[in-house]
Amino acid sequence: MFLQVILTGALIGSVYSLVAVGLTLVWGLMDIINFAHGDMMMISMYTVFWLYTLLKFDPFVSLPISAGITALLGVLIYKFVIKRVVNAPGLMALLATFGLSLFIRNFAQFLWSPNYRFVGESILSGKRIFLADLIIGLPQLAAALGSIVMTFLIALFIKKTKTGKAIQATAQGRDIAELMGVNTEKIYAITFALSGICVGVAGTLLSGIFPVYPEAGAMYGLLAFVIVALGGFGNIWGAFYAGILIGLTEALGGFYLGTQFKYALAFLIYLLVLQFRPKGLFGW
Amino acid sequence: MKKLLVVLTILLSLTVLAQEVIKIGAIFPLTGPAAATGVKIKYAVEVAQEIINGEHPEIELLLGKSAGLPNLKGAKVQFVFADHQANPELAMAEAERLIRNEGVVALIGCYHSSATKPASQVAEKYGIPFIAGSSSSAALTERGLQWFFRIAPHDGMETVFFFEYLKYLNQKYNANIKRVAVVYIDNEYGVHAAQMVKEKIKDYQADGFTIVADVKYPASATNVDIEVQKVKGAKPDAIFHASYIGDMTMFVKKYKEFNVLPKVVLSYCGGYQDPQFVINLGKDADYFAGPNATTSALFKKMPILAKINEMYKAKSGVDIDGPTLEDFASAIVIAEAINLAGSTEPQKILNVLKTGTFMAPYFVSGRIKFGPDGQNIYSASVMTQILNGVYEAVWPEQYQTKEPVPQFPEWNKR
Repeated sequence: MFLQVILTGALIGSVYSLVAVGLTLVWGLMDIINFAHGDMMMISMYTVFWLYTLLKFDPFVSLPISAGITALLGVLIYKFVIKRVVNAPGLMALLATFGLSLFIRNFAQFLWSPNYRFVGESILSGKRIFLADLIIGLPQLAAALGSIVMTFLIALFIKKTKTGKAIQATAQGRDIAELMGVNTEKIYAITFALSGICVGVAGTLLSGIFPVYPEAGAMYGLLAFVIVALGGFGNIWGAFYAGILIGLTEALGGFYLGTQFKYALAFLIYLLVLQFRPKGLFGW
Repeated sequence: MKKLLVVLTILLSLTVLAQEVIKIGAIFPLTGPAAATGVKIKYAVEVAQEIINGEHPEIELLLGKSAGLPNLKGAKVQFVFADHQANPELAMAEAERLIRNEGVVALIGCYHSSATKPASQVAEKYGIPFIAGSSSSAALTERGLQWFFRIAPHDGMETVFFFEYLKYLNQKYNANIKRVAVVYIDNEYGVHAAQMVKEKIKDYQADGFTIVADVKYPASATNVDIEVQKVKGAKPDAIFHASYIGDMTMFVKKYKEFNVLPKVVLSYCGGYQDPQFVINLGKDADYFAGPNATTSALFKKMPILAKINEMYKAKSGVDIDGPTLEDFASAIVIAEAINLAGSTEPQKILNVLKTGTFMAPYFVSGRIKFGPDGQNIYSASVMTQILNGVYEAVWPEQYQTKEPVPQFPEWNKR
C-alpha cells in the first residue's frame, strides 16, 4: 500500500509541476502574477471536451489544438491586459488578472453552463497496468510522463535557444535587455504563449481524469502559486521538484494522517520552507 | 383640491399595483462550484412561479387553478433570486439584502446546509419565514429557531433509512452487509452526515454493523486517489457517501480504476441524485443507490409529478431530480402559506406554516406538515438504485419499480 501511495503522489505531483512551470515562467521570470493561470487550463479542458463531443477527437489528437489555443490566449492576455499594466505598480497587474480570472470563469459558465462534464472515451481511458500489487491508471501515467517531457522541453528551450536566453535576460533586467537589442515586448508575448502551452498541455492531459467545469482550474491555479514559491521563482526544475514534493506530501499525509489534512499539509510545508528559505527550495 | 385628488389616486393605484406582486427571496448557488445544481433549482422555482401566477388547472395544486394568490385578490408572486456561490458568508449577506432592500416577505434556499444555516439566522433576526427545500443537515432543525422550516428529510432520518435498507437487504437477499465506510466532504453537510452515522450506528450494533473507515476529503479536491485507497484498504461492504456531483463522479472513476467492489453504495441527498451523474458516468453509474424524493421511474405512477416535470424539462432539458423537487416544493409551500394567511404579515404566515398541512401530490408521501422543530414530519424519500441507467425505486416494497441488486459486479463485466 505504501508504494501505491507514493506512486499516486508522484503521478499527481508531476501534473501539478507542469501547471506550475507555466506559472513560474510569467511570475518567476517576468514578475507578473497571473491569477487567470488556472482558468487558462480550464479553457484547454473545454477545448478538448468540445473537440471530443462534437468531432470525436481523442484528447491526444486535440493536444496541439488545445495547446495552440491556450498559447494564443496567453498572447491575447498579454496584449490586451498585461501590456497596459506592466509598468504600473505590481498591484495593478495582480488586480487586472484577478478580474480576468473572474471574467473567464463566469463567461465559461455563461457559454457552457456550470455542469460537470467528462471526456468519456480516449485511447487510454479505463486502461490500467498491474505491477504486483500496484495499480497504475494509464491516463495518469500519460499525464505524468507528458508533464515530465514538457517540463524538459521548456527547460531546454529557456536554456539553449536564443529566444530562451532573451527571456532570461529580460527577466534579469528589462531595461538592460532592451539596450542590448532585445525586443522585450515580443519576449513577454512569447513567455505568455509558452505559459499557455504548459497549461494547455496540462489541461489536455487532465481532461480524461478530472471533470471539466468552469471552476476546474481554480485549485490547480492556487497550488501552482504555492509550488512556484516553494520551488524558487523562475526556476523551472525547481517548480518541477516542488510539484512532486507537494504531490507526495498530499498523498502520504492524506493517507497516514487523514485525507482532510492533505492540502493543509502541503500549505504547511510551504510556510515552513519560506521561513527558512524565503527564496524557495531551489531559488537563486 | 383637484390636483391633490389626482395625486392621491395615483399614489393609491401605485400601492395597489405594488401589492399585486409579493416578493419572496430565493438564495441558491447560481455560480461557483455547485452552480450546476443551483441553476437547475432556479428553473424549478421558476416553474413553481409559473404554476402559481398562471392558470394551470391540469396541475392539481391549490394554486394551480387560478392566476396568482386567490385570497390576496390574485396577487402575483415573484421569486427574487440571489447567488451565494456555495459561500455561507455570501448567503448571509444576500439574505440581509433581500429582506432590507428588496422587501421580501419570506425566504427559500439555500441547497447547501452550510449556507442555509447563516441565511436562516438572518431570517430569524428579522422575523421572516425561511423554508429550506433540500438542505439536509439535521443540525438545521436542532437550533430551536421559530421561523425556520425544512422539507427534505434530514441526514439523521436518512441515516436511519440507510440502516433499515441494509437490514432489509440482509434479511431478504442474505446480503451479509456489516462493514460500513463513511466518505464525506469536509463541510456542514458532509461532517454532519458522518456524525449521524456514528450516532445512529449505536442502535444497529446488534445487527452487526460497524464503521470500518471514516474518510473526510477537502471541499475543493483536485483528486481523490488517496481517499479511494483508504476506502479500499478498509474492505467495506457498504459505503455511505455525502458528496456533490463533481467529487462523487471522481470517486466513481477511481473506484473503477482501483477496482473497489462494495456490496452497496448509499448516497446522502447530493451528487448521486443529480441526473448528470448517469450522463457523466454511463454504465459505471449503475448499482449506486440513495434516497430520492423522486425518480423518473415514478412519473408513470404519479401524473401530477409528470406534468410538473414536463414544464421543468422544457427549461432544463433534463428530468427533475429529488433535491430540485424539494426546492420546488419549498416555493409552492411558501406561496400556499401566504395565500392561506391571506396576508403578507410574517406572523400570520408563520401561524399557517406551524399548523397547516400542505398537499404535495408530487411527493410519494403526498403531503407536507412541519413539526414543532420545523422539520417536515412526512419523509418523502424512496430508496432508489440506478439500474441500466434509470433511477429505479427499490424500497420500500410498495413503491418498488425494480428489485434491488445488493452486490457490485466486476467493473469490466457491466
